Amino acid sequence: MASSLPIPVPPKTPTPPPDEDEFQQQQQEQQQSLGLGLEGLPPNSSSTVSYDPNTLSPMNWTFPGRLGSLPSPANTFSPASTATAYSPMTGENAISVNGSNGIPRSPFNFQTTTLARSPVAKSNMGQRRGHKYKHSSVSHQIFLEPEPRAPLPLPASLDIPTFLECRKSMSKEQRSRIIWCCCHMFVAAYTLWSAQESLALTALSHLICFDALGAFLCVMVDVLGNFEVWKRSSIRHPFGLERAEVLAGFAMSVFLVFMGLDLISHNLQHMLEGLGHEPHHEHKHARISPGSVDLASLLAILSTLVSAIGLKNHARIGKAMRFAYIESLPSVLSNPAHFLTLSCSSLLLLLPLLSIQMYVWLDRALSGTIAISMCTLGARLSKTLGFMLLMSYSGGGVSEAMREIEDDPSVTYVEEAKFWQVHYGLCMANLKLRVRGGEDAMLRLRDRVTSIVRNRLGGGYGGGGGQRWEVSTQMSMEKD
Amino acid sequence: MGASLTSSSANRSRITEYLLQRVEPWPLLHSILVEKDSRRIFYFMLLNFGFMLVQTFYGLATGSLGLLSDSIHMFFDCLALVLGLCASVMSKWPPSMRFPYGFGKMDALSGFANGIFLMLISIEIVYEAIERLVEGSKIQRIGELLTISVLGLIVNLVGIFAFEHGHHHHGHGHSHGHSHGHSHGHAHAHDHGHSHSHSHSHSHSDHDHHHHHHHGEHSCGSGLDISPSHGHGHDHGHSHGHGHNHHGSENMHGIFLHILADTLGSVAVVISTLLVHFYNWSGFDPIASCFIAVLIFASAVPLVSSCASALLLTVPQDAEYGLRETLSDISGLRGVVGYSVPKFWLEERVTADPDAHGHSHGSPEKDHDHSSPRILGVMHVIAARTADTEDVRERVTQFLAERHMEVVVQVEKTGDSRCWCGGGLKTG
Repeated sequence: MASSLPIPVPPKTPTPPPDEDEFQQQQQEQQQSLGLGLEGLPPNSSSTVSYDPNTLSPMNWTFPGRLGSLPSPANTFSPASTATAYSPMTGENAISVNGSNGIPRSPFNFQTTTLARSPVAKSNMGQRRGHKYKHSSVSHQIFLEPEPRAPLPLPASLDIPTFLECRKSMSKEQRSRIIWCCCHMFVAAYTLWSAQESLALTALSHLICFDALGAFLCVMVDVLGNFEVWKRSSIRHPFGLERAEVLAGFAMSVFLVFMGLDLISHNLQHMLEGLGHEPHHEHKHARISPGSVDLASLLAILSTLVSAIGLKNHARIGKAMRFAYIESLPSVLSNPAHFLTLSCSSLLLLLPLLSIQMYVWLDRALSGTIAISMCTLGARLSKTLGFMLLMSYSGGGVSEAMREIEDDPSVTYVEEAKFWQVHYGLCMANLKLRVRGGEDAMLRLRDRVTSIVRNRLGGGYGGGGGQRWEVSTQMSMEKD
Repeated sequence: MGASLTSSSANRSRITEYLLQRVEPWPLLHSILVEKDSRRIFYFMLLNFGFMLVQTFYGLATGSLGLLSDSIHMFFDCLALVLGLCASVMSKWPPSMRFPYGFGKMDALSGFANGIFLMLISIEIVYEAIERLVEGSKIQRIGELLTISVLGLIVNLVGIFAFEHGHHHHGHGHSHGHSHGHSHGHAHAHDHGHSHSHSHSHSHSDHDHHHHHHHGEHSCGSGLDISPSHGHGHDHGHSHGHGHNHHGSENMHGIFLHILADTLGSVAVVISTLLVHFYNWSGFDPIASCFIAVLIFASAVPLVSSCASALLLTVPQDAEYGLRETLSDISGLRGVVGYSVPKFWLEERVTADPDAHGHSHGSPEKDHDHSSPRILGVMHVIAARTADTEDVRERVTQFLAERHMEVVVQVEKTGDSRCWCGGGLKTG
């Protein structure tokens, strides 16, 4: 198998740029390690990948194209024919590569580049036919048509890491974060357990549970960021998997609504029971004797603070959704989820301290308030995230940007303009314009459109959420 | 009231026609009633709501706690139905400035939310069952409980029959792609007559992806069917790309599952109450609840996963092959040196009226036009320095348009380093 190590890695190109070779090696190493199922991949080696500024555009398209366009002897051993010769094997492998990640990788997987190129064989056959035809016709431009090039490699298909791979790739810090998340969850369970009859404390425990889940999500995103498939786009996952974080956030907001509704219905049922008969058991003893510290709410405050400051759970969600009222509050409190948890738990902590009896009605009112605000928060959250999942852009300034683009003298017509947010950190603007003027004007216009979009929408006011904008402009020349 | 609605699901047309004429002045109601899916949801919601009102009044009059707390449950069901109705109406809205790709994903979104909800409900049922098992609470007022759950069962059964029709019609995208033509136990195979014969190509390693792309397109289902009746399919490795259920609305599927869950819940209550009554062991009730919870959870999993992959813009496997081929062909076009940041995703087809849908499966060509979703996307093409950008753009867009793709193509020149994609820089 190793002897069939595929083509376009010519031993020496005539004028090899010094960095290119290095780059190829690096590339191969990387692929090798990928092929081995990532076991050998230490977290930091993959993190060099993610620091690469070219992450989005897989870099391995560069060199063969470049080789191909060089009029060099390297082209004369036609890669096309080699590719055809190997195509049966590569085809087979391409399928196994695309298969589920549970398949143990066989040794020949270090040929990822070729595998990904499998359909090429066919296209080259088509090209060869064209070749024959070209010879017969004299009128074809000879210098414009490049020699049969090594076809551009396609973006490699990346596997979604399994649970085991995730566990192996975790760094020490990530491990400790996971442990903290478990502690947070434990606090939620403790609060629920110590709630006994108190509805308000039950509601609080639900809130803590939501926070803990947010912390888990945060760590999971961090761990998955170790892998290439998370950030790098492939054909199967055009935007990487980063959108999964939005989806998980949406699921969590559904969870929040669910808990809110659940609490409300429990509350109602309690109330009905209270109406129906005599209250069958008086609240004989207060859960916390007045004047003492409620351990559960104290723990709740502490864990919320640790998660909020240390893990920054809900940070991205909070940024995506802004509540006008509490935005001016200091950092942690400006996040609605933290605001809710902290205010409730401190209220529960203070009430006994101030020697206020936990009356049944107070308890009910408090838990009702928590439940309703959970529903509200969840609904707002799911609306924001849902809109993101519906491929929309909710920030302002789109119409202003559009007007500015339309006003540009070289734009004659805007055929299509789509602005949308892919995930928390990425937005896209896809425009189709009709323009007049030469190629210089087009270049200038492209830059201008990019800067308009970035300035109007990206920078925004007060940070703007720090999204990156990817602007693509298709310009067709007005024929006149 | 209930009777008239029940019959309306049987011979829908006459009553609906009448109602359609009556609601002409209210465009919102009219738009609900015009579409088949939303009409169903609407009718069932009315039924549910009416039942809830009756329950509440009766409960208040007799002071029956069971009735009242069941009406709370009914109220939440109605809420879920209203949300589903909203989703089904919204999914027909046209694209706008704010929603440049329209609301096609609304179905998947609502299906996802519904699925998550069901999972949570089933977890809660288990939790409460364990609680009851530990505390060993007695069931009181057996007669009342039985009446309520039988009534609820009847209402939900009506819903199931109303929805099942639609569900069968297009909600079942279970893939036949991977099994070699044996044992398609589908009751509704008529919809997909020709797809069986064509789509074995998954499991073989032959390279005829193109062919596959055409015919297998709509057979790549999502594994939505809750009662998959074909036994062998799954051992053939990569089965259906989990992706887009090209046929049906996930929203309807989610609502259907919700109603099914409620029905199962009522059945469980009836059976366990009787068992408890006769055998006098209160453990039956929690066990039945757990059983139902597991069923609900399992049926929600495929829905959630298919919706998730639609929302993540994952490209299903068969379309992926086609895309790879297309991309490598693009690099062979004249004047094209390279490309960067190719990003493609499937357009969520706004389902045409499902009434007319069943007939479009006749011929493959027609079918291709109708039911294969377009591929949308963006890519930057790097043109050779000597090539004419306009020419390259035209070639590429035309090439892509032939392949049923609508892609924004930005053409750059070799050596142009200014774009963020960095494509020109690299090939330069």
